[in-house]
Amino acid sequence: MSPALASMKRAAEQPMEYAAEWKARTGRKVVGLLPMHFPGELAHAAGCLPVVLQDDTEPVTVGQANVFNFYCGLNRSLIDQTMRGKFDGLDAIMFGDHCVQLLGTADVIRAERPSLPILFNQLCTTLDANWALRETLGTFEQLWKELEDLTGHRISAEATTESIRLFNRSRAQMRRLYEMRRRGEVTISGRDMQTIVKSSMVMDRGEHVALMDKLYSTMPRRAVSSSDVTVYLSGHMCHAPKPQIIDAIEESGARVVNDDLYVGWRFIHADMDESLPPIEALAHWYLDKNRKMPCPTRTMQGVDWEAYLLSEVERSQARGLIVLMVKFCEPHMYFYPEIKEAFDKAGIPNLLIETEHEEIPMEALKTRIETFVEIAKRRADIKAA
Amino acid sequence: MGSLVMDNVVSMPGSRPVFGTGERANKLKSTRFGSKLVNDYWNGVFAAKEEGKKVVWYNGTYIPPFFHSHDLVWVHGEAWSAMLAARHQEVRAQARGDQRGYDRELCSYARTHIGQMLIEMDKARAEGGAALEDPRMEAMMKLPPPDMIVNAYPYCSSGQQWDDITYRVFGKKVPMFTIQIPLLWGGRSDAGYMQGEEWHQRSRYVADQLIELTRFLEANTGRKFDFDRLSDTMGYIKKAAELRLEGMEMCKARPAPASFFDWIVSIAPMSFLPGDQNIVDYFQGVKEEIAERVRVGEGAVKDEKYRLFFDGMMNWNKVGWLADKFAQVNACVVAGRYTHMSFWQEPQLIDLKDPILGMAQNYLVCPNNHGAPIMIGEIEKHCDNYEIDGVVCHASRTCRGMTNSQFLIAGSAKKYGRQAMFFEGDVADESFYKDELLNVRLEAMVEAMEAKRRAA
Repeated sequence: MSPALASMKRAAEQPMEYAAEWKARTGRKVVGLLPMHFPGELAHAAGCLPVVLQDDTEPVTVGQANVFNFYCGLNRSLIDQTMRGKFDGLDAIMFGDHCVQLLGTADVIRAERPSLPILFNQLCTTLDANWALRETLGTFEQLWKELEDLTGHRISAEATTESIRLFNRSRAQMRRLYEMRRRGEVTISGRDMQTIVKSSMVMDRGEHVALMDKLYSTMPRRAVSSSDVTVYLSGHMCHAPKPQIIDAIEESGARVVNDDLYVGWRFIHADMDESLPPIEALAHWYLDKNRKMPCPTRTMQGVDWEAYLLSEVERSQARGLIVLMVKFCEPHMYFYPEIKEAFDKAGIPNLLIETEHEEIPMEALKTRIETFVEIAKRRADIKAA
Repeated sequence: MGSLVMDNVVSMPGSRPVFGTGERANKLKSTRFGSKLVNDYWNGVFAAKEEGKKVVWYNGTYIPPFFHSHDLVWVHGEAWSAMLAARHQEVRAQARGDQRGYDRELCSYARTHIGQMLIEMDKARAEGGAALEDPRMEAMMKLPPPDMIVNAYPYCSSGQQWDDITYRVFGKKVPMFTIQIPLLWGGRSDAGYMQGEEWHQRSRYVADQLIELTRFLEANTGRKFDFDRLSDTMGYIKKAAELRLEGMEMCKARPAPASFFDWIVSIAPMSFLPGDQNIVDYFQGVKEEIAERVRVGEGAVKDEKYRLFFDGMMNWNKVGWLADKFAQVNACVVAGRYTHMSFWQEPQLIDLKDPILGMAQNYLVCPNNHGAPIMIGEIEKHCDNYEIDGVVCHASRTCRGMTNSQFLIAGSAKKYGRQAMFFEGDVADESFYKDELLNVRLEAMVEAMEAKRRAA
């Protein structure tokens, strides 16, 4: 593993430890960020370290006292980590989603850590409403003020544009790697790709950009094995799937060529317009990106997740789709039947894997994945013949 | 030997819960008028197309005054699912949803509604067929498809996504209007129940969207929206809401003359029935019966010993069952979050000359749309007002909008000296309900309340 990737891995696996070191080094504030559409640029412009809060590898224990077991693993883990004191180094949390489970989690965090400010500014979810832009501008203006109050100093428009520029560069770097993987120009595992994106969610962006530059300079360009079955990963809209699942997929003769995962393409696919006043850039970024990559948690007529996936699977020359559905994720449960129907109709092999925070029976899962890979391979062979 | 075998045969409970004293809940008689109103309403829905009326399907808050004032017929998805569940007719609809791949952990209101939509479409595609033999199908066939879809869901993201699916099931062609009713997080320094900068900003935001709704209705009917008629409609609703609150307030009496379950069956007139004289008459009747019960000392539960608060969404499969269950241990569930913190519970906010802002505000203060501190503060006020001994939390498996914060609610109850318990169930999926668990926990709760009294 390259030193750059090793540094990213450390931050991705121990984000709160990384944040604590950063805070000790800089003397600045660390702001936790809850998924899934809330931008980190403003917090960065305020001089803070925005850290997207992740689930961790610990089983949920003390958290059980404050959350039902029919909530998704991310929410249960966030509550558990709060109660274990993992987030005690945060100076604030900001978010704006309407996920009903996440709203409950935020209330538990507030109850458990009453001195931790939660900057809640709910984003407009009807993206094509004629009031959406006005409302979204207002949301970010309010956040701007609240971050100024938190840090005690003014956030300039220039600093915000500079943060936007940095984040755009960071996203572009990762997109470039995605494209190279899609075109078969580099061999990079799904696990490592997840590490790269996940570390960008928790690290100082400037540091991450520098690490990416180093990574590119040392990364060997080599053609991938043509015998692998190419697959596209979809789902996990708020946190990363367990790396062991991606390993199991790739150890079964499949090669991940693209994804729409949150800790993946979903997080990096859209940039902000650096030429706009920053508040407008933030608002347009939020409102427009759903047309590029549909999210089932937003209401917008004329966009279809399944159509996007069909098109992306074709563009990526993937032979099959693996859907990673987080158990109890309601938006995914609503939209999955249409995805399945569309892929069945198109004759593209597809596999649903329901994931949980704990207790994923890996051996049984491997058998299912191996069977799927065989089916996808045979179908591809028949098609080629 | 034969008798031994017989002795080992487990005797299953009958149609009523075998528990406690065997007493039944003493339900209000006046609520029967509501059954007639509900039947009339659904018959009006079924006849909509014959009468040339346009139909709106909607989910979420009590938004029908806008439809009523514009001569539309409205179908409330939640009410439809709740009705099917209350009549134990939900299983087939849910099975059809399962068949398409909707996971059973998904909101069971939505699964029932979507499943029924799919059945309707199956029937429409088939020429006759087995589905028609189901007696339930006759009624379902009358449910008219939507000309418009309106979504106005406070707090719950699942509600918005449900209507997105409705829109898609109907071919993405039906005009849809989605109103955002944002959470009142209550994080700013001036935040409080119906006060502070956030409250005023959000009230205006929702009110502006309601104005947009009237334009949407105009655009899809070609008729001008009549705001005077909206004021008239709201006049009836405001009056009915005031009568309802007056009736609730009388339940401070001991024994409580009406229970949470009486208020549960009184939701329809406040939630989705037409805003006219009928709902005023309904609540006038309810209030008069309550007043008479107070006068003669008649309780909703015989020999009331304990007074409880019900937190969570209703388990629509089990309304009568649960009413009797609590009555059998002499416990009156006097109030609840779902009934007492919703359905036009702040009628004074409605200015009949210009009702929209007050309507928006009533939509905002629905029972889960506040951050936990303010919401729990309001629950505690009710518990104090009704002199509550214990809080019963219904952990409704697929309604996370109502299970959020329940651990905090239980914690608050205990902090103020009240017992708290949980039982598992669901809004419309009976398979999540575990009767014996409730029996054991309720017995334990009663024992604890009794012990506390003895110790006092």
